[in-house]
Amino acid sequence: MSAVVNRAVSTPGTARELRGRWWRFALILLITAVLLVPIAVVVLLSILPGASSTSSGFTFEHFGYVFGQTLAVTWIQNSLITTLVTVVLAVAVAAPAGYVLSRGRSRAVSAYSLLLFILQSLPIITSVVPLFILFADFGLADSLVGLTIVYVAATMAVATWMMAAYFDSIPVSLEEAAWIDGLSVFGSFLRVVLRNSLPGVLSTAIFAFLLSWNDYLVALVFLRSDVNFTLPIGVQSFFQQSSIDWGSVMALAVVMMLPPVLIFVALNKYFSISGIGGSLAGR
Amino acid sequence: MTEWVSPMTTLTGNLAKARRGLSPGGRGGARVRSRTLKSQTRFTFSAMLIPSVVLLVLINGYPLVYAGIQATHNGSLIEPGDFVGLDNFATILTSDAFWNAARFTLVFTVVGVFGSWAVGLALALLLRTTIPGRGIFKVLLLLPWIVPIVVSSTAWNWLVATPDSPMPALLGALGLGKPLFLADPTLAAITVCVFKVWVSFPFMMMMSSGALASVDDTLYEAASIDGASRYQQFTQITLPLIARPTYISWILMTVFCVNDFPTIYLLTTGGPVDATTSLVVYAYRTVFQDFRTGPGVAVAFLMTLTLVLVSTMLYRQIRRAHVE
Repeated sequence: MSAVVNRAVSTPGTARELRGRWWRFALILLITAVLLVPIAVVVLLSILPGASSTSSGFTFEHFGYVFGQTLAVTWIQNSLITTLVTVVLAVAVAAPAGYVLSRGRSRAVSAYSLLLFILQSLPIITSVVPLFILFADFGLADSLVGLTIVYVAATMAVATWMMAAYFDSIPVSLEEAAWIDGLSVFGSFLRVVLRNSLPGVLSTAIFAFLLSWNDYLVALVFLRSDVNFTLPIGVQSFFQQSSIDWGSVMALAVVMMLPPVLIFVALNKYFSISGIGGSLAGR
Repeated sequence: MTEWVSPMTTLTGNLAKARRGLSPGGRGGARVRSRTLKSQTRFTFSAMLIPSVVLLVLINGYPLVYAGIQATHNGSLIEPGDFVGLDNFATILTSDAFWNAARFTLVFTVVGVFGSWAVGLALALLLRTTIPGRGIFKVLLLLPWIVPIVVSSTAWNWLVATPDSPMPALLGALGLGKPLFLADPTLAAITVCVFKVWVSFPFMMMMSSGALASVDDTLYEAASIDGASRYQQFTQITLPLIARPTYISWILMTVFCVNDFPTIYLLTTGGPVDATTSLVVYAYRTVFQDFRTGPGVAVAFLMTLTLVLVSTMLYRQIRRAHVE
């Protein structure tokens, strides 16, 4: 508080400036409150007792029901496995490719960059139908393996750019020093560039995480049996019952939104969305 | 940018280490090796691209070719069917449902892009001023974008779906009748667009914040000394200076909107009476509900062609803007 006052004292027109500050605070508080109503609704409904409930006040009965009587635990596992594998593979594929895009200055590299740009703008529905038929032949249609492959491919273009954008910020002179030391190009990529790219890697990982954790369309097309459902399809399956049990739906919804929200709040400072724009323009 | 400072310090540390490790003969040796180094580099670069290329060809490229084949056949998900030339394209291009979907996609995209941009930019500008607890608001306002669509659409459904839901009930209590947000075709279209703006404004806010951060504050001081009003400062300084990142964010959001499926499908499943059926929803329903693979893939294929043309053009333009 004292810091605020000190700064206010040092600027002219103190009282007016301070009043303006609190007006803006009230305004943004109101806007934020209104905009977050839908999210508050999810949390509230998940802990308020249902119509047939005997308890009053807050309750965890919906969570108890969801974890005990439904396949929720299986769905959470499915979502976690799919997402984690996607994140690891996406970074493993995108990091070397992004490095080539960042350091290579040939016609072929530019062409590949354009190709990636076009690919990310294509509607995923175009490739989902043929992939569904192709994967059915290999028994990958109603499976998490197939789903993961599609996710890795879907994240690749943007993930590669994000990595490339970060590598651009690492001076080549560093690597030159490593090359003179006798390290190969790949060696210096691993030991010099990648080791210093934690924010870039995290940024890409968060992006891949959000995409695969939140995806609805691919999972809707590919997954048929309820033991293979990921969370989005699991939440939706509650709506197919004749009467919607809002408490249970919201309890599962809370479970589903916790990981992305926690990860984002924790790693928020590493996530640079404008990096995407920068790399778009740079190549 | 500040958060990227700490790894940079480790970088300089490494540099010092690398310099110390230089042997007396190091430099000469490097010069002799430079030619082999070049071909070796090319080999390494190619090898590093292999996983990416394999995925691109198999999972992104192959389906496109296959989609082209499906679009010219009258098959289903199980049967390949017979070659019918461009019949599927003729069928869709002459159907009202297709043009209806194309029109809604256009409306949805225009509202989605400019609505979320306007809200996002306004909030970014507001959050640029001194406000107590600014950092917390910045994170809180990103939530609509972070929370999975499946979750937020569930909440929106609860809020507006039936006449007894809270929103219609609230408006009813205010004497405005009980609007059927998802049952009336026009209202449903508006609701879906508003939902899209709600989901997407944080993305635009982030893009705008990033752009605004690079605008020099002294420009405003100079302008206000010259007697420029707030509005003039906004149109004459802010907007031109953030033009390029803004342009990029519009392009990205256009692609997001055109390709969007869950935002629409989870709220209305394309109804009522196809009022909120976009091209993607239309393609999905044609393939997986009407089991007409040919026309459905043809729709997707037309979208693909349009997006490839548009994005290639835009890509060129961004690059040109970058050179200037």
